[in-house]
Amino acid sequence: MVQITSALPIAKMVGSNRVVLGHGIVHVAGDASLSFQEEKELRRNLVRDALKALQSAEKE
Amino acid sequence: MRVVHYLNQFFGGVGGEERAGMRLEEREGAAGPGRLLEQLLGGNAKIVKTLVCGDNYAVEHQDEVIASVLKKVQEAKAELFIAGPCFEAGRYGMISGALCSAVQSELAIPVVTAMAGENPGADLYREALYIIDSGPSSAKMRDVLVKMAELAKKLVAREEIGLPGEEGYLRRGLIRDEFVEQTAAKRLVDMIMAKVTGGPFESEMVPTSFEPIPMPPAVKDLSKARVMLITDGGLVPKGNPDRIEGSAATRWGAYSIEGLDDLKGDDYEISHGGYDPRFVQEDPDRLVPLDAMREMEREGKIGKLHNEFLSTSGLANPLSNTRRIGREMAEKVKKEGIDAVILTST
Amino acid sequence: MRLTLARHPVTDIRFETATRLEGTSLFVDVEELRRNILEDDSLRNVDFETVCPGENCRAAPVFDIIEPRAKEAGGSQDFPGILGSPVTAGMGTTHLLAGAAVTVLGERAAGGSGGAIGRVLEMSGPAAGGSPYSSLNHLIVIPHARSGIPNHAVQKAYRVAGLKASVYLARAALSQRPASIETFDPVGPTEKGHEGLPRVAYVGQIFSRQRKPEVDEQILYGANTDGMLPVLLHPDEWLDGALVPSYYSSLGGAETYFYQNHPVITELYRRHHARELNFVGTVATIAGSDNEDRDRNCRAAASLVKWVLNAEAAVLTKYGGGVPHADLAETARLLEGMGVRTAVMVSDMSRDRRVESALLFNFPEVNAIVYCGGNGTSWNAPQVERVITGSPEAGEALAGLREIGAYNVAGVANQQGASRLRAVVY
Repeated sequence: MVQITSALPIAKMVGSNRVVLGHGIVHVAGDASLSFQEEKELRRNLVRDALKALQSAEKE
Repeated sequence: MRVVHYLNQFFGGVGGEERAGMRLEEREGAAGPGRLLEQLLGGNAKIVKTLVCGDNYAVEHQDEVIASVLKKVQEAKAELFIAGPCFEAGRYGMISGALCSAVQSELAIPVVTAMAGENPGADLYREALYIIDSGPSSAKMRDVLVKMAELAKKLVAREEIGLPGEEGYLRRGLIRDEFVEQTAAKRLVDMIMAKVTGGPFESEMVPTSFEPIPMPPAVKDLSKARVMLITDGGLVPKGNPDRIEGSAATRWGAYSIEGLDDLKGDDYEISHGGYDPRFVQEDPDRLVPLDAMREMEREGKIGKLHNEFLSTSGLANPLSNTRRIGREMAEKVKKEGIDAVILTST
Repeated sequence: MRLTLARHPVTDIRFETATRLEGTSLFVDVEELRRNILEDDSLRNVDFETVCPGENCRAAPVFDIIEPRAKEAGGSQDFPGILGSPVTAGMGTTHLLAGAAVTVLGERAAGGSGGAIGRVLEMSGPAAGGSPYSSLNHLIVIPHARSGIPNHAVQKAYRVAGLKASVYLARAALSQRPASIETFDPVGPTEKGHEGLPRVAYVGQIFSRQRKPEVDEQILYGANTDGMLPVLLHPDEWLDGALVPSYYSSLGGAETYFYQNHPVITELYRRHHARELNFVGTVATIAGSDNEDRDRNCRAAASLVKWVLNAEAAVLTKYGGGVPHADLAETARLLEGMGVRTAVMVSDMSRDRRVESALLFNFPEVNAIVYCGGNGTSWNAPQVERVITGSPEAGEALAGLREIGAYNVAGVANQQGASRLRAVVY
């Protein structure tokens, strides 16, 4: 499992092993201030990071 | 005050380890440490019955012994039930805790026991019961009995029970509110002054620690993996069909994304009071990134995106709920043959 | 900067034709006050009531509670940045009506942890003893907004109405002799005379970015704090009107009254005067919107405390619920790492009142914790003789009230340190 969240201290504290930084509490995988295309790109990159983390043996 | 006292084979004066298999027996009046305990309880307190049982027998036949003790306590019309003190004896601590817990909930009379903090019975029952901290050594018997008697008298009189340090019981890990003389500001400045001048201070709270979670091995071949999306941001279908609560949620749901390439705001709502939901309501992919995941699926980066996402609300949710929800979700994950999960959290 | 507070005790408030303070009786010309407040054309009307200490009464939903205060000429201005230009607060003499308060009621509860009822001014009954507000004389101000006005403009109108009323009332004292005068010692990182005493700073959150502030929401010198980094403030700025609470504050809520009478700052001043510590200053911070924002703000606050205030110790308070809690803990952790000892004030957020569910942080070095209660405490809300509400809808929400939670009683769970409700671990 990989967790995407902005509340990194909480994730660290409860012991979540693979954590990817989310993009804000209110839109963890998006950004309302970006254009539609930019937002999609941001989300794609976030998901790619998450998939990379799943394949990594390192604690993130 | 009518009291029933439970002892193991050793403190009951029957014998040592070789008698640990003895069955539950009943004695009239006080026995062993019960004699001093009766005196310390004072007033009109009388140990009307002493129940003695071997530690092995009790642990191996716990249900039977509990049922039997409950019956005897009821028959004796007891107003107080005491077990132990158990010190370090693990089996004794476990059965004493179990008996006290059962008497408390089934018969609703005050109960007291005592054991060392490291006794396995302490771990299991400290939250449910007042357990006097006896420490490991039975040389402290008198002191321990004094504390047990004091606490028992308060419980019977329905007096307010003080803090663990004052009354001598093991910290139960519970929280209650109390009005105090000093404002929080005064207590805060007092505390920093003590800390910075090297003086003693007692924090009003000691942080919890979480057990480390062993790291699951990395996914070997994502392009063949079945991936599932889970969120604690409270995204649910319009109408919240499973009535998932926005805060302290006790439920979770599994929602179909079969044939969908992205999530539309009109079809969903947010049941979660802890963040401004506007952005996710506008485009739920901002919380559950279905569109990006479908692209990954089409490009072959992942094998298959599972046709449901799981959802609950993480807001102000006690561990007693979230541990269970997590376990149930994990079972679903296993059942569906999922290889990897992406959890998005607010 | 040396703030002087001139205290005028008030024991009763009455409506009369001329506003004046006679002895400890405050007479108020509500027509004049009404005209003053209705200069804001967002409001179509404003009503007023008076409430005595301990009266068999409740009022809700509370928008804000403010101590009547007015500046003497020659010093700072009243609520700079809101009622006038954003000049520095804290200078000169401020006259205040001790024992009095202006309580503004909204027409709708704010939502969030206050639920449908919002914060209640509970003047009598079992809950009242826990709140400092039940022993005050209140002028209740009930502004009525014109219909069709956006919510943020309505809230701004409420804010201004309350502050105006507060200043208006206290101006009656300007011509009177105060019962007592208190001048605060000069404090700051370079002040002399307290060498060798522990250098202590206060770090107080004033907003949480779990939501974006309204464009015209006025919090710090009238600014809405959006995008702001932590800032150094002189303690007198907190006490003298530079700060007001944001429109929503979760858990126990915050009222202007306890910025003006800030319990932590007041206590630090007391100890400073008693030569037990050296109060070197304060930092106002904001709980971050995301990880980067949190990191930036926590680090900036810690740096100000360590490198500019040169503090050896700091006390920290938060503003809100879980995210602010995590930010507070992170700031404290950073400070400890820099050799600054910390003590933090947090509230119990466990839903099931078990230690295991309680804290959101686990830093061994953040080991001095004041633990405030509120969660899970409630009282009987007996029928009262008089219920004052902001609107018929608010009145309906209040009508069925049988039990009231600690977070709904204004003042009980105050996060600036006025609370006496402790969460005890046993």
